[in-house]
Order: sequence, then C-alpha cells, then structure tokens
Amino acid sequence: SWESSQTESTTTNTKMLGYIWHYFYSSFLRYIQKWLIRQVTGTCELQRICSGYQPGAARTTRAEYSLRSSKSKVLRGALETSKDNLGQSVDQVMKEKSIKPEKDPQFKERFHICLLQITGYGSLYASVEDLRTVTFSSDNPKHEAMLFKLWDLLMPAVKLESRITKQWGDIGFQGDDPKTDFRGMGLLGLINLVFFSENYTMEAQQVLSHANHPKLGYSYAIVGINLTEMAYSLLKSGALKPHFYNTVQGWPELQHFHQLYCYLAYEFDKFWVAEEPESIMHFNQYREKFHNIVKAHLQDPDVSLTLTVSSGN
Amino acid sequence: MGLLTILKKMKQKEREMRLLMLGLDNAGKTTILKRFTGEDVGTISPTLGFNIKTLEHRGFKLNIWDVGGQKSLRSYWRNYFESTDGLVWVVDSADRLRLEDCRHELSTLLLEERLAGATLLVFANKQDLPGALSKEAIREALALDEIKTHHWCILDCSALTGHNLLAGMDWLLDDIDARIFTSD
Repeated sequence: SWESSQTESTTTNTKMLGYIWHYFYSSFLRYIQKWLIRQVTGTCELQRICSGYQPGAARTTRAEYSLRSSKSKVLRGALETSKDNLGQSVDQVMKEKSIKPEKDPQFKERFHICLLQITGYGSLYASVEDLRTVTFSSDNPKHEAMLFKLWDLLMPAVKLESRITKQWGDIGFQGDDPKTDFRGMGLLGLINLVFFSENYTMEAQQVLSHANHPKLGYSYAIVGINLTEMAYSLLKSGALKPHFYNTVQGWPELQHFHQLYCYLAYEFDKFWVAEEPESIMHFNQYREKFHNIVKAHLQDPDVSLTLTVSSGN
Repeated sequence: MGLLTILKKMKQKEREMRLLMLGLDNAGKTTILKRFTGEDVGTISPTLGFNIKTLEHRGFKLNIWDVGGQKSLRSYWRNYFESTDGLVWVVDSADRLRLEDCRHELSTLLLEERLAGATLLVFANKQDLPGALSKEAIREALALDEIKTHHWCILDCSALTGHNLLAGMDWLLDDIDARIFTSD
C-alpha cells in the first residue's frame, strides 16, 4: 500500500505541476513567446494563425482562442460583434495590431471569415433557441400546416382521416394528437422533422420503414424529437463549433442546423439497425452510446457531420 | 472488511427504496424526476424506454424509475414492478379527455400481484395550467376512495414550479418507512 500511495502522490504532484505550468504559461510565457516571435517574424499571432493553418476549424478555433485570451479590449470585443458591424470590427483589429494590408494582403479576408464563423455560431444558437421556445399551437394555421405537410411527405399514399386520429402513431407520435409531443423542443422539433422529410424524402421514408419494423422498430417522430434535443444540446455546449467551422465558410444559417439534424436522424437509424437492441425500452442506453460516438467525431479537428446518401438501398 | 462495515452495508441496503413512477404519456413524470435531481426541466422530450435516477433524501437511498407512458410502452411496465416499495402515479390534471383512460390504467396496475405491497402516491400534476382539475376532482375521477388494497394519498402539484413535490415524496417515504423499516 506504501507503493500505491507513493504513486498516488506522484500523480498528484504531476497534476499540480501541470496546473502551475498552465497558469505560468497562460499568464506569462505565452506573452513572452508571442512577443519574441513577433520581434523575429514581424507578424502577430492572428496573422500567423490565418496564414499558417488551413481554413476551417484548424484556423478558426485558434483565432477564437487568440481573441478570447487577448489582453486587448478591441480583440475581445470582436467576439461580440453583430453581423452588420463585422467589417468595421475587422478594421479595428487590424489597426490595433498594426497589420498592414500591403504587407499581408490575404489577412483581411481570411480573418473576416473566421470572425463570421465565430460570431455566427452564437447567432445560430440564438435563432435555434428562438424556435425552440415557440410552443406548438393547434390554433396557429402555420403550425398545423407544417404538421399536415409532415404527414403527406412521409405517407404520400395514405390520407389522414382527421386531425385527431390514431394514424399519427404510424409516423411515431405517442397518441392521437401530436401537439403534446413537441414539449421542450417546441417548433424546432417539428421543423427538423419536416426539413428531413422534405429535403431527403427517400431517406426519411426509408428510415420510417425501419422505425416501423415489428421487432426492431422505434417511434419515428419521438426519436426525431429526442435527436433534435441532442443537436440542440451539442450546439448549446459549443461542441458543434468544429463541425460548423469546417462545413460553413461564412455565416451559419438555420438550414445548416437542420442539415445537422438530418445527419443525426439518418445516422442514428443506421446505428440502431446495426445494434439490434432487444426492445425500445433500451432506447436511452443506445441514445447515450450514439451520443458518445457523435461527441468522439467532434473531437476530430477535421470533423464534418454531413449526411452522405449511399446509393443502392 | 470488518464487522462494522458489513453492518453498515446491511443498514444502507435496508434504507434503500425503489420507487416506480408511471402514468399516461405527457403526465409530467420526467419533469418531476428532473425537478428532484435539479436538472433543467425546460428541454425535455418524450421518454422512450425509461430513466433511472438514484438520490439521497432524509437518509434514504431512493432509486426512482421513470418509465415512458405512451400506449405502445405500457405493456413493458410490468418489467419494472419487481420489489417496488412505492408507486408514484402521475396525472395531467388538465387532460380531461383521457381521465377515463387514466383511471383504467391505474386500476389495472393495482391488481398486479407484484405491486401488492407498494404504497401509492397520486400526483395531480400541472396545477399551474389554467384548465387543471382540482385534486378532489381527480380523486373522484380515478375512484381512489375505492382502493382498499394499498395505502394511498393524492396531492395536487406542479412539476414546473415544484409545488408540493417534496411534500408528496415525504408522505411516501414516511409510509414506506413505517411499513418496512420500523415495523420490526
């Protein structure tokens, strides 16, 4: 036991040293190092990031870190810029860091894209949150129309007999009125379901047919709403940054979020079919497993969670 | 392992309770569970399968099972009956149209042999909604007064605001405690 306690204390010491080193590095060394390199190369960190790394997460994640940990108010403030003032913000940063366009002609455009991606991510979250907090209402004709559209896209050969009907169960709602199923995901859950069915109709119908399998089946719409929750929480935590930085070279829009949902809906179905769970009662366990796979993908700096349709099924 | 540890372990085991939370879909079971554990209740989606949470309350270790309520899942409920000490039946007090369905499901449950020893707590949930029925109305609609086989109690509550959730849980724990742990 002496040995194990010694190993333990060694690990604690190593950890402790790690913290001290990190503190020392981020408070002093990083600045000294940056200053030295600047003296030698004549470029600031942002310039080196924009010229030394490929566009996408590799470049934008570093630029974001550099801005966030900057001592300059102008640089930190750039992270909070609205879309309309972005050009101005780029100029201010260049002025603050004395970056001359004639010496580094590519910087301005590259940095502009980084800033679009960084501030756009926050704005995308705000738009998604706006949709999520809209409660589905049967009194709203637009909401109702979306619900009917979902039915027609998924079940083109079957007519819906009435607004309140057990038929909703055929596309995986819980009861005879889907309105209570949207819950915490609000209108966002419905819009995602419709987006997938509209833009990938064949795939959505194929996924639905798997969901209606007598043994391996699951509730299509309810699982979809659960996957909207997954997409939403990944977005909120910031975990989707590398994905959006790699796939959208500019300002991310709502449709890019809906596209990510399509990826999750399609991939979850493949995963579920391959895993052959004993019954739907194990859903949460498989949901967690799938969630971990997605999170592992997001650790890869080259990640791109894009639905690629394999032909032939 | 010393004798004291063994005794402690046994005691811990004795102070463990298994609670099963059931009810129709959209009754608010998961919201109640998340309220207890202090999680965000604003982003819940319908439950497929079940959630289980273990929490400590008043020295008891509570294993709370929250099983999805949609019709196609109800046939699986029986898989969760074994060794249940307390049954929490959650009702959406504003869902007048399905009260009969709700009464029927509850009365079927109470015939289950494996739930025979369980204490029943009925939560008349969603009292925050304008159209919610009172606990007296729910008590009548579910014919609770006819229940002679189980200790039961009904409380009005709101999972959203947290109103009466702890009071209900305390009653349930007291009843189970009196039946199981202090009777011998």
